[in-house]
Amino acid sequence: MTSTGAAESIRPRISFYEDHGRYRGILSWILSLDHKRIGLLYFIFVIGFFFSGVVLGFFMRLEMIAPGGTIMKPRTYNSLFTLHGIIMIFLVVIPAIPTIFGNFFLPIQIGARDVAFPRINLLSWWLYISGATIVALSVFTGEGPPDTGWTFYAPYSLRTTVNVPLAVSGVFILGMSSILTGINLVTTTHRLRAPGMTWKRLPLFVWAIYATSWVQILATPVIGITMVLVFLERFFGVGVFDPTKGGDPILYQHMFWIYSHPATYIMILPAMGIVSDVVPVFARKKIFGYMAIALSGMAIAAVGSLVWGHHMFVSGQSDFANLLFSLLTFLVAVPSAIKVFNWVATLHKGSIVLEPPLLFCLSFIFLFSIGGLTGLIQGALAPNMHLHDTYWIPAHFHYIIFGGMGFGLFAAFHYWFPKMFGRMYNRKTAKIAWIIMFVGFNIFYFSMLLLGWEGMPRRYYDYLPQFRPLHLTATFGSWILIAGLIVMFANLFRGLFKGEKAEDNPWDAATLEWQIPSPPPTENFEKIPVIQHGPYDFKEFSRNG
Amino acid sequence: MKTVKYRTYILVWVGLVILTGMTFSFAGMDLGGWTVLIALAIAGTKSGLVLNYFMHLRSERLLIFRVIIPLVMAVFLVFILLTFADLAFRGGVK
Amino acid sequence: MDEVKAFVLEETRDKTGAKLGMWLFILSELLLFGGMFILYSAYRYKNPVDFHHASRELEVLLGTFNTIILLTSSLSMAASISALQRGQRRLSMVLLMATMALGLLFLVNKGLEWGTKIEHGIYPNSPILLARAKGEILFYGLYYVMTGLHGLHVLVGICILCGMLIFIAKDRINQMRFVPLENAGLYWHLVDIIWIFLYPLFYLIT
Repeated sequence: MTSTGAAESIRPRISFYEDHGRYRGILSWILSLDHKRIGLLYFIFVIGFFFSGVVLGFFMRLEMIAPGGTIMKPRTYNSLFTLHGIIMIFLVVIPAIPTIFGNFFLPIQIGARDVAFPRINLLSWWLYISGATIVALSVFTGEGPPDTGWTFYAPYSLRTTVNVPLAVSGVFILGMSSILTGINLVTTTHRLRAPGMTWKRLPLFVWAIYATSWVQILATPVIGITMVLVFLERFFGVGVFDPTKGGDPILYQHMFWIYSHPATYIMILPAMGIVSDVVPVFARKKIFGYMAIALSGMAIAAVGSLVWGHHMFVSGQSDFANLLFSLLTFLVAVPSAIKVFNWVATLHKGSIVLEPPLLFCLSFIFLFSIGGLTGLIQGALAPNMHLHDTYWIPAHFHYIIFGGMGFGLFAAFHYWFPKMFGRMYNRKTAKIAWIIMFVGFNIFYFSMLLLGWEGMPRRYYDYLPQFRPLHLTATFGSWILIAGLIVMFANLFRGLFKGEKAEDNPWDAATLEWQIPSPPPTENFEKIPVIQHGPYDFKEFSRNG
Repeated sequence: MKTVKYRTYILVWVGLVILTGMTFSFAGMDLGGWTVLIALAIAGTKSGLVLNYFMHLRSERLLIFRVIIPLVMAVFLVFILLTFADLAFRGGVK
Repeated sequence: MDEVKAFVLEETRDKTGAKLGMWLFILSELLLFGGMFILYSAYRYKNPVDFHHASRELEVLLGTFNTIILLTSSLSMAASISALQRGQRRLSMVLLMATMALGLLFLVNKGLEWGTKIEHGIYPNSPILLARAKGEILFYGLYYVMTGLHGLHVLVGICILCGMLIFIAKDRINQMRFVPLENAGLYWHLVDIIWIFLYPLFYLIT
């Protein structure tokens, strides 16, 4: 019925690694329009920046092993935690899952050949690299990196003589990269779904990336303009945040957190999407409450944009605003709790296959729950008075960002590794790495929760002797955690070159990426599929073969 | 997409110029607290004309196109209202 | 039927997708300026009298004239697309050039306005400005940043339209394929909408 004569072009059946297109060598990568190559470009650099962030963290903990100066001066310590924050937040956690796995797998999961705007995709990557370069320049030029904390609060950020303008310019460029990625993935999801791929048949990972992309588009511009204003204040003395000119520093905080709180949802939603995709596969059971998970992600994106004032309870905000933001903060916990409940309900009475991806997801659920519950404690006004700017806060957010998003990212590494690289890593070693990381993580960050509860201030270089034992424990935990990270990455790296060849569908999953070869050919599908079942319909899937 | 008639565009332009004239005149009057609201209402109407006719939003059928402008307005409103929940009540609720 | 859809998906350029992408970009630009409007509201709320005084120093007639210029440029922009859709290539290019000319005129006026103020010693961090009331310092800070950022967008818009002009001349944009021109138009109208709000908020504060 269709005349295909004019249009059936020959699609290469070789993998996307071998099909290098117009260019050769490194150019075939950095000028590639293939969403899979771009995803891998992000992969390399995100992991590289993650390592540098970990190294900074290692030295921070080393300094804090004892009170007073240990291996560095106070200003250096301030710069370390500033850089650690900037790198981890803007170069690792915010971009990681959308740019690596969103790019690589969203088009495949919806049955498309690429994203809606491949050239904009490449531009996003170049902006990411440019922004990172500018941030790097801020470290190695002039008077050195900012010491303001990654939050660049005015008026200190307007006065300190270190490289604030460079750093905020870098953040601005990175923001542009993020916005373009969001635009690309929203348009892709709306326009390029294969026939039969209704919204209700989308993998939950796609729903999660979709919700995330909206936040990227709508929230990022606000920090963009805020960074521009800090830059302009420093060079032209515009006066918008400077109290000596009538400016209000609390307004800076509003503008900063209007983005930076939703940014935490940009970080966590994609990881939740991964858990939602992985758990059914390793429980051999359809996800419990598909629509609840899909829509709760959208609810988190929406309500999560209304809570930013909870970072400012002690800044001088009005009591009325404090009450409002505290209430909204409690509300946003509800959709997250719905997800946790649904994941656990999926596991219940499932046929559990304890592979590495599932282990990382299980620890995600546990660690994210601790993060979420501590969030509620600090979201209540009275405790916040005591806990704000203590170690409790970084402990809370590391439970969420590292225990949650980080472990979710590692789950994605272990889940999609065979599809991306056509090889399998050593599963036993992966499990050993996991347990080391899990133990180290809790020793490290639980100690920090306790330290914060006892009153240890954050971003402090020195401390009273009574805090020594817990600091020692935390540093010790950090070493175990790092050891686990080394084992994990070494194992994956080894698997890349020496791993056994992987089958196309080693996990027996039902989503589209597992129905194509590992690694995929350039245009993903020989023929665009026509979808007839949901993403976790294992029974239907195995019946149809 | 159906091509819009030149006449429609010119009529919209006339409307925009008239509204500009209106906002200019209102500025001359003393209306107290209402001034800002009237100015914003007129600006909103002008923007509505530009969005619907010059930018063809009126002829878009897909749901997503009808949703995005209300969405961005809602987001902006929420940002500004919550910020004012702080600013307007610094001295305590009166 | 689904196989026909799959085939169509393969081979056609997605005009609606391109338009959707542009609209999403416009949303982000609206919020970029939106952030500044939040600051404007906050500071006007806190300094109503100072804002009023400072506003009276701006040249209302020039501002109004500039508003009309930009509104007219939106007309010529929209008409340019209609012309191209009807195959009236030359008319389309003339209208596009008119749009660019009006944009340039807007920028010249803006430059003159700024020039006058700077001559009088009123610019960010100037001693004369710093000696004034806090609210007035803030007003001018916001004035320069917001109209400056807006002007930058007008300039970029003119460059984009120049590119479109060249594409039409080379027949890369024509009656069959005009989505890039439509998208450029969307951007131009965005710039107009931002000014529609800037105008009363800076020039007409009573």
